[in-house]
Amino acid sequence: MIACIVIPGFELRVALQRRPRLRLEPAALAPEPGAEPLLGPVTAAAEAAGVEPGMRLGEALATCPSLQLVDPDPAAAEEAWEGIVRRLEDVGFAVDPAAPGCAYFETSGVERLYGGLEPALKRALRAVGPEWDARAGAAKRRFAALAAANVARSGQALVVSDEHAREFLAPLPTNLLPLQARQQQELAELGITRLGELAGLPGGAVAERLGPDGRRAWSLARGGSSRRVRGRKPPAELFETLEFPEAVGNELTLRRSLGVLLDRLLARPERGGRALRKLALSARLVGGGSWRRTVTLRDATAEPARLRAAIGPKLLDLPAPAVALTLEVLILSESVGSQLELVQPEGAELREHLREGLRQVSAGTGSGSVCTVVEVAPWSRLPEQRALLVPRDD
Amino acid sequence: MVAPARAASTPGSARRLNQPRSALVEAHVDGSPRLVNRAEVAAVLEEWRVVDRWWTEEPVSRRYFDVVLAGGEHAVVFRDEEVGRWFSQRGT
Repeated sequence: MIACIVIPGFELRVALQRRPRLRLEPAALAPEPGAEPLLGPVTAAAEAAGVEPGMRLGEALATCPSLQLVDPDPAAAEEAWEGIVRRLEDVGFAVDPAAPGCAYFETSGVERLYGGLEPALKRALRAVGPEWDARAGAAKRRFAALAAANVARSGQALVVSDEHAREFLAPLPTNLLPLQARQQQELAELGITRLGELAGLPGGAVAERLGPDGRRAWSLARGGSSRRVRGRKPPAELFETLEFPEAVGNELTLRRSLGVLLDRLLARPERGGRALRKLALSARLVGGGSWRRTVTLRDATAEPARLRAAIGPKLLDLPAPAVALTLEVLILSESVGSQLELVQPEGAELREHLREGLRQVSAGTGSGSVCTVVEVAPWSRLPEQRALLVPRDD
Repeated sequence: MVAPARAASTPGSARRLNQPRSALVEAHVDGSPRLVNRAEVAAVLEEWRVVDRWWTEEPVSRRYFDVVLAGGEHAVVFRDEEVGRWFSQRGT
C-alpha cells in the first residue's frame, strides 16, 4: 500500500508559530513578495468568515476586513518539514516528501514491524507529532492515498481498498486535483465539481478541452497510476551561516558574504572532494521573516566562480534586509572525478600556499583565529561599519 | 551610540572591524584631549565631527581628535556626545 501523510495549511502553521495568538482569529498566509496576490492557507476563523485559500487578496479583504495577513517563513517551514521527514525516516519509513506538508511512503516494508497497516499509519502519525494535526491515508494508488489523507480527520488514518477506490473518489471535490486555478475554474464552469463527474467523461475529450494537465487530472480522478513510491536520498547536511551584526540590504555586501559562505562550504572536509549539484540560499530577514531559494546546477561543480555566478543573482530577489545568510548543500555529485586542468589558472599555486599557511596558523592558535576581512560599507563615515571580520576554518 | 567592543559573538558569526574601545581621556575646557590613557597629548593634528543616523533611534554624534602623544605615539580618540564617553578607534 502507498501511504500519504498530510498536514493541512503547513506553511501557515509554521508562520503562526511566531504569532500563536492569530490561530483563533481570521488570518491567512500572505502571498510571496512579487508573486500573484493570491492567499495561501487560511485559519478556521477566516474560513468561517468566507475567506478561502487561493482567493485574490482584494476580494478576501473585502469579504473579511479583519483578516490578518501572516508573512510566509519558508526557511522555518523547510526546517520544520525536514524535522518531520527525519522523524518518519527514523521510525523506518522510506519517505518521498512531495511538498512541505505532504509526504508519501510505502507501507509494505514496515507492516510486519508494527503489526499491520493501521498500526504502521498510527506510528507514522505519532512520529509527525500531535501539534501538527496530521492525517494519514493509504491506498494502492498515490492519488487515492492523498485523497484519503485529505478526507481523514486530524490524527486519523483512512485506508481505501483498490476495489472501492473509484467509489471513494467519485464524490470528492475536483480541487484535490493538481490543476491551476484557471483550469479549476474552467471545470467549474463546465459544471464539473466532483471527481466522479470528471472520471465519467471520455479521456480524449478532456485532453482536447483541458490539454495534457487535464488528461492527467482525468487519469487521477480514475485512481491514478499505481507507480511505487521511492524514498528520498538523505540530504547532504552541509551548510554555513553568516550572522550580521546588523541587517544588511545592499547587494555588494550580500554578494561578498555569499563569496565567504561558498569558500567556507567548499572547504568543509565532509564534501570529500565532490562537486555541488543542488544548493539552497536562505536568509533570516529583519523583522522576523525568512526567505529561501534553491539552485540546481546543470553541471555539478565545485568552482567558486561558477557557483557564485549561479547563486549570486538570487540575492536580487531578497525582499528585505537580512540579519543572517545561510548557504546549504542539498545534493552532492556522486563521483569526485573531474577533468583536470592542463594549465592552472594564474595565482592558483600562490593561493594554495596562502591557504596552507592559514591552515597552519589556525591549527596552532585554535578555531576562529583566522579571519577574512569583508568590506561591507566602505563608504560609511563610521569606521566600524566599513568592514566585518569573518572567521574562516579552512 | 557605540556598541560595546567585542560584543558577544557565536563561533562562525561575523564581527565588526575597528570597533571603538573605551579610552581614559582628560579634556581641556574647550573639549580637546589633554591626557589619553594617562599619556600627555603633545599635539592635536586634526579635529572633525561625525553626525549620522539622526533619523534613527540610535543617532551618532562624535567629535574626533587625531592626536600625537608625548611618547610620539599616534592615536585617534572621539567623544561620543550621545553617551558622554571617550573612545579610541583605528581605521579612521
